[in-house]
Amino acid sequence: MHHNRTTTLVGTALAGALVLAGCTGQTGGGDTDDSTLTIWHYENDDSAMGQAWAEAIRIFEEENPDVTVEVEKQTFEQIQKNAKIVLTGDDVPDVMEFNKGNATAGQLAAQGLLTPLTDQAAERGWDEKLTGSLATTAMYDEQGLMGSGEWYGVPNYGEFVGVYYNKEMFAEHGLEEPTTLEEFEDVLAAFQEEGITPLAEAGAEYPLGQLWYELVLAYGDRALVDGYQLFADDVDFHGAAMTQATEKLDEWIDKGYIASDSAALTAEDMGVSFIDGTYPIMVSGSWWFGRLATEVQADWGQFNFPGNALHPGSSGNLWVVPANADSTGLAEEFIDITLRPEVQNVLATEGGLPVAGDPSVIDDERTRELTENFQAILDDDGLAFYPDWPVPGYYDVIVSQLQSLVNRSKTPDEVLDGLQSAYDDGKADLLDG
Amino acid sequence: MADSTSILTARRSRAGRRPRAPRRGRAAWVGYLPYLLPGAVAFAVVIGYPLLSNVYFSLFKWRGGMAPLRWNGLGNYADLLGDDQFWTSFGNSLAMIVAMVLVPTIVGLLLAAVLFDYLGRRFGERVSSVLRATYYLPQILPVAVAGVLWNWILNSQTGALNEILRGMGIDAPPNWLGDPATALPAVMLVLIWIQIGYPVVIFMAALQRVDPELYEAAELDGAGWWHRFRAITVPQIRPETFVVTLTCTVAALKVFAPIYVLTRGGPESSTLVPSYYSYLNFFDKSQVGYGAAIATVLTLVIVVLAVIILGLQGRAERREREGI
Repeated sequence: MHHNRTTTLVGTALAGALVLAGCTGQTGGGDTDDSTLTIWHYENDDSAMGQAWAEAIRIFEEENPDVTVEVEKQTFEQIQKNAKIVLTGDDVPDVMEFNKGNATAGQLAAQGLLTPLTDQAAERGWDEKLTGSLATTAMYDEQGLMGSGEWYGVPNYGEFVGVYYNKEMFAEHGLEEPTTLEEFEDVLAAFQEEGITPLAEAGAEYPLGQLWYELVLAYGDRALVDGYQLFADDVDFHGAAMTQATEKLDEWIDKGYIASDSAALTAEDMGVSFIDGTYPIMVSGSWWFGRLATEVQADWGQFNFPGNALHPGSSGNLWVVPANADSTGLAEEFIDITLRPEVQNVLATEGGLPVAGDPSVIDDERTRELTENFQAILDDDGLAFYPDWPVPGYYDVIVSQLQSLVNRSKTPDEVLDGLQSAYDDGKADLLDG
Repeated sequence: MADSTSILTARRSRAGRRPRAPRRGRAAWVGYLPYLLPGAVAFAVVIGYPLLSNVYFSLFKWRGGMAPLRWNGLGNYADLLGDDQFWTSFGNSLAMIVAMVLVPTIVGLLLAAVLFDYLGRRFGERVSSVLRATYYLPQILPVAVAGVLWNWILNSQTGALNEILRGMGIDAPPNWLGDPATALPAVMLVLIWIQIGYPVVIFMAALQRVDPELYEAAELDGAGWWHRFRAITVPQIRPETFVVTLTCTVAALKVFAPIYVLTRGGPESSTLVPSYYSYLNFFDKSQVGYGAAIATVLTLVIVVLAVIILGLQGRAERREREGI
């Protein structure tokens, strides 16, 4: 009897707990509140994106005087890590910025946390403004794989990986901007012979993986990218392109083009060392542009990775509408405004690489050069996304494997083995649902 | 006045009654119920429900969010058995126990004894208090700040430590957090630095309750510092030693933040720990079921170790009571 009562009591307490927990989330949403538009984003006010979003909000408020716009600033990490939990509840934004790709927006789409926007994309003409590799990151299938299925997000800007170089250091050693991979290697060798490690690198974060992927793209083609990123075909990591790329990177490390102690360095370390002139070359993304423009004292420039037709890069982050948002109509209207010329041209003039902007409105020479370089990639449909995108958790795998290469603890062959097995496992998990 | 008389009368009459035997069974249990209920509900909500949810999710393949749950039985646990990274992470937990339990407890014990029994007496209470607070400082420093600080010290190219080593003529100083051979010891060093103040404070508080006459008598008998430490300090503060060992062991097994800010499990998984591996699966790989299985195993290991330590503590107390 006593035992039974205890059981009943514990059972009741647990049931109470379950009810309490149930009250906090899971279901709900879908209510309508057309008097407030809640926006979450993570751009700094003075960045190109921050300024463009402010302009879009201004236009929205002007056209919807009865609607209150609430902007909630988040950090990239906050949204990245918490979205899966936060978006299951009712207290969600109407529209928010989110990272793109299989491992991020694709996961939210597959988890049913985002509103499909396919009808809106056709109705409002987003699908005509955003085509090719730009549209790839906007669409996700039922398994969260990009490139097909419903529209779940809308990008406004682009980003790509290129080469930043210190013009003064180049001039000092009589070196010129290379146009092929061979010329690029000659430049690297020339600096190395002068006792200068040429490449600023960071093994603990994304930069080294992006350099590896640039080399994969130097030896590979669109079919490889589609196989690797979109699972259009099986990828043999021991095939020609990946083997040549990994061996080339290994050779560069061996020759001292990359510092042997860079395995634990962060992207910030890399950027700072390029800014202060320790290294003459930095292969990294367009997101560094504004920072370099402000902080680099020496004369500097930017060019696309020499000889490559394909480049790591993609649309920028996406505007997505959570499934539990309570004013999807207003959210879609806001997204539409962000693609208007007024907003796109703010991105252009501030170096934000607009997807539907006009480079002729740009006065600053360096900004125009960057935008034109991006435009050249877009004209060739040359965005090949990022190496860590195909499967969730692959970022850590790439970082770890390439750290082994820098530390000389694995051969290129072993690194490719590690990359292949994690890729195959991740792909099987994804396709398994 | 009439009131106080009646109270006294009432007291007398109650005292005059035969003391009632403690009520057994149903009636007594119901009497305690109101006191137990808040704790039971709080336990159920804060610990029971999340724990059961975690175990429940570990039996499924689940991407999280509103994605469907797919029954996997013990499949996630079976996968763990063949997962090298999982075993590496638990292997690294042993290093964390060395860094967060073994070294801080031993060093903390010595430091506390020196501060209390030597420096405190020689230079006064204030000096030992200041030193104690200094040792405790890393404990109150946010881990994120400690991470930035230590990254600044250990950075291979610009770090203060390597600058000093280069200044001493060492051309290729160690790549502290970048080389798998040095990353784990470097992280252990940081953890020791963070952890050391905790046992010092606990042990010094414990020493306050030791009868000073014991020390005086021992000193009169000619016992030196080491003899006093071994014969008085260590046995007298045994209960606190158990508490420190238990809490630090649990902290070492579930350590997360220092790994997150210092190495993110790298380089080459050399500093991976179970909690960070669970987090990686949960958030980065969207393998919620697998992440939950790792967390469940970690919980189980912690509970088993806690029970063993508590059992040892109970046995030590019994032996002490029985004068063995």
